[in-house]
Amino acid sequence: MRLLTSIALLAVIPALLSAARTHETNPMSSPEDFEEGRRLYRINCGVCHGMEGKTGRGARLARRSYRHGNSDAALFDLIEAGVPGTDMPGLWLEEDDIWRILLFVRTFAEKASEVCNASGDVAAGKRVFDSQGSCLACHTVGPRGGRLGPDMSFAGVQYTDQQLRDALLEPSREVTGRYETVRLVTAEGERVEGVVMNENSYNIFVMDRSENIRSFRKAELQSLDLPEESLMPAYGDLLSTADLENLIAYLCSLHGPAEEVAQ
Amino acid sequence: MKVLLLRRMLLSALLCAAGAAGEVTYQDLLDDPDVASDWLNYHGGYAGHRHSLLDEVNRSNVESLRLQWAFQERIEEKFEVTPLVHDGIMYITVPPGDVYALDAETGARLWRYSRRMPAKLIACCGLVNRGLAILGDRLFMATLDAYTIALDRKTGRLLWETKLIDYSLGYSGTLAPLVVKDMVMVGTAGGEYGIRGFIDAFDVETGERRWRFYTIPGPGEFGNDTWSGDSWKTGGASIWITPSYDPELNLVYWGVGNPGPDWNGDVRLGDNLFSDSVVALDADTGKRKWHFQFTPHDVHDWDATQVMVLIDREYRGVERKLLVTANRNGFIYMLDRETGEFLKATQFVKQTWAVGISEEGRPIRRPGMEPSAEGIEVFPAVAGGTNWMSPAYSPDTGLLYVSCREGSSTYYKGETEYRPGTRYWGSLFVNEATMDKWYGAVRAFHPVTAEKVWEHNLFRPVWAGLLSTAGGLVFAGGSGGFFKALDSESGEELWRINLGASILASPMTYEINGRQLVVVASGGGLFVFALP
Repeated sequence: MRLLTSIALLAVIPALLSAARTHETNPMSSPEDFEEGRRLYRINCGVCHGMEGKTGRGARLARRSYRHGNSDAALFDLIEAGVPGTDMPGLWLEEDDIWRILLFVRTFAEKASEVCNASGDVAAGKRVFDSQGSCLACHTVGPRGGRLGPDMSFAGVQYTDQQLRDALLEPSREVTGRYETVRLVTAEGERVEGVVMNENSYNIFVMDRSENIRSFRKAELQSLDLPEESLMPAYGDLLSTADLENLIAYLCSLHGPAEEVAQ
Repeated sequence: MKVLLLRRMLLSALLCAAGAAGEVTYQDLLDDPDVASDWLNYHGGYAGHRHSLLDEVNRSNVESLRLQWAFQERIEEKFEVTPLVHDGIMYITVPPGDVYALDAETGARLWRYSRRMPAKLIACCGLVNRGLAILGDRLFMATLDAYTIALDRKTGRLLWETKLIDYSLGYSGTLAPLVVKDMVMVGTAGGEYGIRGFIDAFDVETGERRWRFYTIPGPGEFGNDTWSGDSWKTGGASIWITPSYDPELNLVYWGVGNPGPDWNGDVRLGDNLFSDSVVALDADTGKRKWHFQFTPHDVHDWDATQVMVLIDREYRGVERKLLVTANRNGFIYMLDRETGEFLKATQFVKQTWAVGISEEGRPIRRPGMEPSAEGIEVFPAVAGGTNWMSPAYSPDTGLLYVSCREGSSTYYKGETEYRPGTRYWGSLFVNEATMDKWYGAVRAFHPVTAEKVWEHNLFRPVWAGLLSTAGGLVFAGGSGGFFKALDSESGEELWRINLGASILASPMTYEINGRQLVVVASGGGLFVFALP
């Protein structure tokens, strides 16, 4: 053990552990707690999640199940600690106040009408995803699939069926994050197509069609095109309505690694 | 139209499947560090040399070294990582549980993985992590919540995670794992919390466990009788530094941590195997081939978690496969790494606890140097004559370079009681009276004779490791924030820069587009240098 700095750390660690949870389930229930929860939500959460939990850059809260867990304890911990790697910060509030916020947030789910639900056949949809639609070439489910498109392992808790339908029929309407398309021609005349992993004033970093991560100096390129479109084809022309609904049903059934194994 | 599009998509699917270019093979790991452009293992090669064949930066031009790019994060913990570099991408861990892929030429971020950690992580000495292992298209990490995880190296996506054990009992993962063949190996930290240490090997594809080796033997196993009563259950013997590996012998050399409670040995009478030892394990089975204990029944917290440096040299007229390691207890040891035979031990810092080392390699203790209620001053200090920071070995100069710590601690003994997940130390030391005697230095030793060839004084005790290069340089860091290039033959300082915060990591180097870059972590930043 390296004790030199550990004494100082011992002083720091308890500070990191403040507002520790003392309940497994929400102890708050009164109308006053609910109103205070609404007020705290408006101050701390609404700007990203919207006052109905439906809009903004934050995750959609108006749903029946959540990616990081559905228990009171899991949601408390998430609100308290935030979600690493996202814009969701931790809220260093008193324990009771976090429970009050959760009391308010829980009402979103009760009112949520939008869920991932489709009438199609899940098994048939899996066949479309795996072979007919070539979705696996670019999307991952569990351990399988490509890297050019978003991971679909949690599609059933991340998207509504309508969002999935829209994305399949009109993929270029909304292209997010690192899935922006890039087409460029190098000084040597090589044509490269892929998605943008990062970009600054001088360089652009691309995952090409073969999933190689490549770096280019912008000044050295013959051309650089960032069309506001998705690499994904529109599936309205490619799949029958029945196949589309089956595919959506399959995607709605994906709730994470365990479900994938269960299939 | 429909058919055409489908065909195009199928073609792209095939291209994806064939996109194996850039995957790291086991042969690549065996060839590292001969393939000098990459850095594929924590030590820059299985032998633990931390020596690079790159020589673009050398004695004649190192004074022109300048910053190329820096990476900064809000790192409140110690930044102890050694990056890996492959295929133009650098992979680092950032405490407590993040992994970044950076463009190795510019430092631009390509992806980030953030592990969601429990609120009450248990780690004696900071929520640290020292890096990754790589094979195929996968990165491997040991996590503070005691998992081994595999990530896709191109996206950072979690591919599998395997629980080692319940972290709330005091276990954690802080070391960069080791990949051998198709296995990834890790061990557990937590030697201050009454753990029972172990080493696990997992299938790289599935995360399934292949074998486990307990660093404290169970009832009926060899060495269990070196622990009195039930003390073997809570005796520590943690693992927190990447081992070395000899592919010919198929042996992995693990340095094992201190026995617990650290400073009160009364509840664990006996030698306490395999604490403070090196254990040589068969890579395929995890079976122990041999072991050597540096400090039997340690009561000063002198883990043997130093790097095991594997050297093939002549000793007494015979070419031998040697294992050389500068130990925290103040002696440099030389063993035959095929058999574990003890060959030699030489004092390399001031020490007052041993009269010497016997012909069998056992310390001959000076009486009265054990911790006591009143306190006893002993050299070296609790952090040892050296510690986890990497040494370097240059085949060019034939010298072993070690970051040394000179100083003493006053060791106190106290009562202790085992409670799961809490400190199991047996008192605490107090340093104030002895701090003024501390200093640090880089020393070069002849590995066989252990003769000191040169010393470069770094003023404060060192926590930074060393990098040796074919450019005739040794890169070293200091607690005062200076990063330096030393002449590998003389120790003369050829270049230095103040990075503004303590350096608590070991440097590495790589090449991209024909340029050599030298990297070290300092404070919350990673600093990358090259010639103009």
